[in-house]
This record gives sequence, C-alpha cells and structure tokens, in this order.
Amino acid sequence: MEVAMRQSFRAMGFALFFFAIPLLAHHSFSAQYDSTKPIKLTGKVTKVEWTNPHIYFYIDVKDEKTGKVTNWALEMGSPNALMRLGWSRNSMKIDDVVNVEATLAKDGSNLANVRTVVLASNGKRLLAGSSEGTNP
Amino acid sequence: MTLTVFCATVHAQWVKVPAARTPLGADGKPNLAAPAPRLPDGKPDLSGIWEPISPKYLRDLAADLKPGEVPYQPWAKALVDSRADGSHAREESDANCLPQGIPKIAAAPAPWKIIQLPGNVVILHEAFNLWRQVFLDGRQFAEDLNPSWLGYSIGKWDGDTLVVDSRGFNGKTWLDQAGKPTTEALHVTERYRRKNFGTLEIQITIDDPKAYTKPWTVTEEVRLVLNTDLLEFICNENNRDLAHLPGSSLQ
Repeated sequence: MEVAMRQSFRAMGFALFFFAIPLLAHHSFSAQYDSTKPIKLTGKVTKVEWTNPHIYFYIDVKDEKTGKVTNWALEMGSPNALMRLGWSRNSMKIDDVVNVEATLAKDGSNLANVRTVVLASNGKRLLAGSSEGTNP
Repeated sequence: MTLTVFCATVHAQWVKVPAARTPLGADGKPNLAAPAPRLPDGKPDLSGIWEPISPKYLRDLAADLKPGEVPYQPWAKALVDSRADGSHAREESDANCLPQGIPKIAAAPAPWKIIQLPGNVVILHEAFNLWRQVFLDGRQFAEDLNPSWLGYSIGKWDGDTLVVDSRGFNGKTWLDQAGKPTTEALHVTERYRRKNFGTLEIQITIDDPKAYTKPWTVTEEVRLVLNTDLLEFICNENNRDLAHLPGSSLQ
C-alpha cells in the first residue's frame, strides 16, 4: 500500500493543485473523516454509485510490493453538487485509472473522502467536491 | 468562474433557459449589489434561489457569539459537551436522511428557493426534497400542534423585513452539527431582509425555554444563486455514511 501511495504521489507531482471548492456534507465531516490524515491512492475504477446523498466510487489499489489488491471506497459530494462543479455521471468510467487525493475515514475502513481526482491516462483533473467544509 | 459553472449547470439539465430577471452592471455582468426587487404591493420580493455562504452556521449556529453566550439549561450544556467530539454524529437527524429542522436547514448543503405569493411564502429546499409554507393571511397557531420536523410557520411584514414565527416542532433536531438540542417547546423567529439583490439576511431567535434559559439571537446571510434551479435530492437513495459514523441508532 505504501508503495502504491508513493507512486501515486510521484505521478501527481506538483502539477496537481487543489481545486478547493468545498461542499458540505449532510452529516458531520469531522466525525467520519480525520482531516489530519490525507491519503493518495492510484487505482482502477471498479464501480461508480452516482447516488444521493453522496457519490461513492470504488478503486482497486495494488500494493506493488506484495501484489495484494485492496478495494477502496471513495466518497464525494452529492450528484447535484458535483454536476454544478462540472461533473457528469460519465466523467469517470469503470476501468479508468485515477489518482486520488483524499482524507482517511476515522473508523479504519478502506474509505476516504475525495479532494481531487486526476485521470491517469491524460492527466485531466476532474473537479473534486469533497464533502469537507472550509474550516473543519 | 462561478457564473461559468452555474451556466454549465443549467445547460446540463435543460436547454433554452430564458435569462433570469437580473439587473446588469455597466460591464454586462449581473449586479448583485443592486437594490432588492419589489413587488407591485411595494414589499421586497424575496423570491430566488439561495444558498449558505459559509458552513460555519451549520457547524455552530452560535459561531458569531462569544463563548458562554448560549444560555444553556444545565442538561442541554451537558448534552452539547458530550456531543462535542463527534461521538454521537450518528444520532443527528440529517445523518439519517431525516429533516435538518429549523433553522439548520437554511445553513445546510444544497440551495433553497423562495416563492413569494400573495398571502403565502413557500420555501422549497433541494436538500431531501423538503418544503415549508409561511402563511401571511393572518391565521394563528392552533393550541395543540402535531409535532413536526420543520414546524408550522406564520409570517407578517415589519417594514421591509418578513418576520416568520414557527412552532410545533418535535424536539428531535439539532440546531447545528455541534449538537445544540431542541425540545417540543422550540419557537423560532426568523427575520428575513433582502439587503440587496444578491444577499438575504436572516436574523434567527431561538426561544426554547426547556433547553435555554432565555431566547438568543444570531444573524446569518445567504447569497443568491444565479442560473441554476433546484434538482431532485432523495437522501435515502444510498446513505452509506451512517455505518461509518459513531454513536447510537436513532430511537
């Protein structure tokens, strides 16, 4: 996992900057996520749930050292909020490889709240729409 | 940037959308500092789509007050203290896709729309597809209101300010994510004043003698959202967050 995370960090490099339009969550962000624990993940999209109250998508992240694949759940804003930021439900497709910057869940599950998504194939940055607010 | 995003918004869902009735500045851009529009009866027209400017009142309705200025009853203070670390987040109504309550719904995510009609103001909330009615026809509250999430509202004009009184709450909502409690004794007074075309000020007085020793007042502002409209938001479609939030299930 750490290897994959380091690789994803290199891939994203300094070209990536935060597009910090924070969205609000329908529940307490700080109760679910630990803003002191950012994480960078790279993986192939396995499922997209374009649903309320928050979009979830899932990626398979491979540990380069052990070869073990872990499926991560990644949360974004609501479909309406993401649409207002320029997303559509076709912005990210199954099997796309994405670089994700996110905030880890507090409960230890393979869940994180997305801040940015970059399509690895062309470097296109999909707007993030974290459900974290401006002042956690 | 904002306008670009919102223009894209409309076109993403509809085509051939007529331009909104919006004053333009010399540069041809919407002039949100223009005076508030008025209706033929001379009253300000509060109609429009509004959204919170900042999440701070969602997090803490008393964000602008000094520490200690919320006049808690002792049990309410103890309850808020116990909720401060987020350990009861699962017990908040919104996290369960149940209504946010008044006044939190105005500070919560998703825009909301005021439709001002003669004798009646309707507020449509995109969040969870909820609505409020504010009756301005002189009716009064019944003695024994059914408990409800968003209350019953009557209104009247005080000059250019719409004063909305709401009662008949169920006491199950939190005033903010910090967990300030409400009881069935809650009485909320909202004073809506459209400061200019793009800004709506809401002065909120919380009067809940079972939870607070005296009424307390805060003022928040929301901003007009141009070139978008409300969209369906069915919260319980796929609420995966609840399982990851600490706390007990709602009773």
